[in-house]
Amino acid sequence: MRYSDYLNAVSFKHKTISYNILAPAVDPNSQGRPAKLDISLKQSLALIGPYCFSRIMEQVKAVVPLAAYLILFQTLILRHPIDSALMLGGGLAAVIIGLAIFMEGLNTGLMPFGTIIGDNLPKKAAMSVVLIIIGILGVGVTFAEPAIGALQAFGSSVDVAKAPYLFELLNNWTLPLVLMVGAGVGLAAILGTVRFVRGWSLKPMIYCALVPVMLLTGYAWLDPNLRSILGLAWDCGAVTTGPVTVPLVLSLGIGIANAAGKGESSLSGFGVVTLASLFPILAVLILAIFLSFTITPDEIIEAASLAQSAVMSEPSVWDQTPLVEIVSGVRAILPLVVFLMFVLFVVLRSKLPNRLVTIYGLTLSIVGMCVFNVGLTYGLGAIGAQTGGVLPAAFMELPVSQFSPIFPELVGIVIVIGFAFLMGFGATLAEPALNALGLTVQNLTNGAFKKSMLMYSVATGVAVGIALGIAKLVLGFDLATVLIPLYLLGVVLTIFSTEEFVNVAWDSAGVTTGPVTVPLVLAMGLGLGSAVSAVEGFGILSLASICPILAVLTMGLVIQYVNKHKNREDETTGSEVFI
Amino acid sequence: MKERSITYLSDAHMITCVLQKDLAEAVLSAAKSLGAQGSTISYARGTGVRERMGLLGVTIDEQKEVIRIIVSEEQANLVFEAMFLAGKLDSPGMGIMYMTKLDRLATYVPDAILQSADQS
Repeated sequence: MRYSDYLNAVSFKHKTISYNILAPAVDPNSQGRPAKLDISLKQSLALIGPYCFSRIMEQVKAVVPLAAYLILFQTLILRHPIDSALMLGGGLAAVIIGLAIFMEGLNTGLMPFGTIIGDNLPKKAAMSVVLIIIGILGVGVTFAEPAIGALQAFGSSVDVAKAPYLFELLNNWTLPLVLMVGAGVGLAAILGTVRFVRGWSLKPMIYCALVPVMLLTGYAWLDPNLRSILGLAWDCGAVTTGPVTVPLVLSLGIGIANAAGKGESSLSGFGVVTLASLFPILAVLILAIFLSFTITPDEIIEAASLAQSAVMSEPSVWDQTPLVEIVSGVRAILPLVVFLMFVLFVVLRSKLPNRLVTIYGLTLSIVGMCVFNVGLTYGLGAIGAQTGGVLPAAFMELPVSQFSPIFPELVGIVIVIGFAFLMGFGATLAEPALNALGLTVQNLTNGAFKKSMLMYSVATGVAVGIALGIAKLVLGFDLATVLIPLYLLGVVLTIFSTEEFVNVAWDSAGVTTGPVTVPLVLAMGLGLGSAVSAVEGFGILSLASICPILAVLTMGLVIQYVNKHKNREDETTGSEVFI
Repeated sequence: MKERSITYLSDAHMITCVLQKDLAEAVLSAAKSLGAQGSTISYARGTGVRERMGLLGVTIDEQKEVIRIIVSEEQANLVFEAMFLAGKLDSPGMGIMYMTKLDRLATYVPDAILQSADQS
């Protein structure tokens, strides 16, 4: 007897049946669709368990380290206990669960629309129609972006007397604000798509987009009432490029580029993020300047004080806690879904491949958005605001902290800035989108720009940016005086860089601002801002966008220089040998 | 010039296992612990079972990993069973695996083994 036959006989119980039994007989009435499988309750639980676990763990990895870092820093170094810890824990759990549900809904419900439309629309519709649809889609995805809710949620903390236009924009003009941001994203999506198809270089587009942004920034900076909205405007650029916008707009753009026969370029897909983070700045600036022509600061302050006394009387049912989040969640997703359905059913006259799964996915994305909104207010927003509010206790006397000032002023400021630096560095390295970008870049440059190199330079950039932003609030210097030189430096570096590096560098800024980082950093900035009584707490995100651009561009130039130098050296040594 | 030759190996089986993405690691380590020497993994997309499971189909990843392992006849059944158990293929939607007998196999064979095979 052969050893293998022996093993065959003694191994665990098995029997052989014919596959003919398992293979279903074809029923002539079933139209070729195989019968549904019967799955017992126990088996389905065994399937659902790991499915939920892996998706929740993904978000736990994004949220928990960051939250733990904030909590540890607050309790150990700032020596301030966590207020309302139970509510915070519940809020963070809501963020994790909400994001997990939302992302799953996004992948199973919304993304199939994007792929089907991207594949089929360019074949069936004229270019102009496609571009209009992409533009409207840009508005829709902006509403659906989880981080955009953060802007609206934190608006009430602005002091109306100090920054009247900022207060007005965030409280009474939220809808036009989001619409304008969406219009900016839509325009960016249109231009980005045209760029794919025509193969335009990104450099002139960056210059053209930056000139009006700079001019309007300068104008707003000269007007003392408008100066306070600059932080918000520049932060809006960072908020828009999240997990909904980027894949949906890209899937359409790449579909169109493929249909036009230009999909082969290794650079297609880049550039939209860059434009989508520049145009919203322009849009918000235009809206703010328009606002300054229609209403004076005094009118706003008067209206705000009136509204305040009115609100005290009776909050309506719709303004109460779970309902207001649910309403805003539905309002965020529904327009996008309706629009996508309109395009699919009316323009394309096409059907969904798997209706049940799509409906399931759409339901999940709405439910997830609602849960996430609740978590945004009570979890991320609360913890960010709390830590931000206590942060100045490190270097100045604060009424909330009995130990303050904990350190001498200079040491305290250094500690706070170091805290911000580490937070930015860690949060960026943990971002999964950055890993993906790193891989793409490594392939694109044939290994010259290594993945780890990109990740570390982007993370360092973000860290420096967040540290600068915190320093701006603590030391109270002006945002525009830092931003404008930094962007000018970016332009200078762009002129000298090659097309690949320009694409990668300008896109890397949008990659780093996910739905966890944005609300946390915004809330922290606002909390810190109000604790040190700065006019407004915005601007951190905008600095966290430009610094990685500079870091990656510089890195690219260094690599270019080193490679050129090495080649020249190789040539000279080679010729010596030859002689 | 060194004379080159080819040595054919017989008694070889190939086990192919189609699994959901990211579940291959456990199956691979089970196979390797029972003596499988190496494996080839490729990425693929599967259809069929998701549609037949209704809404539960969403729990099955459409992206698949295909593992191909070549084993000796003596190891074959043990490795096959171990992979089946590690991959939990006895629950619906987890994957499918099959084993085929290979006619001919050739790869680098260490000299010591060649010599001992010649002597016997």
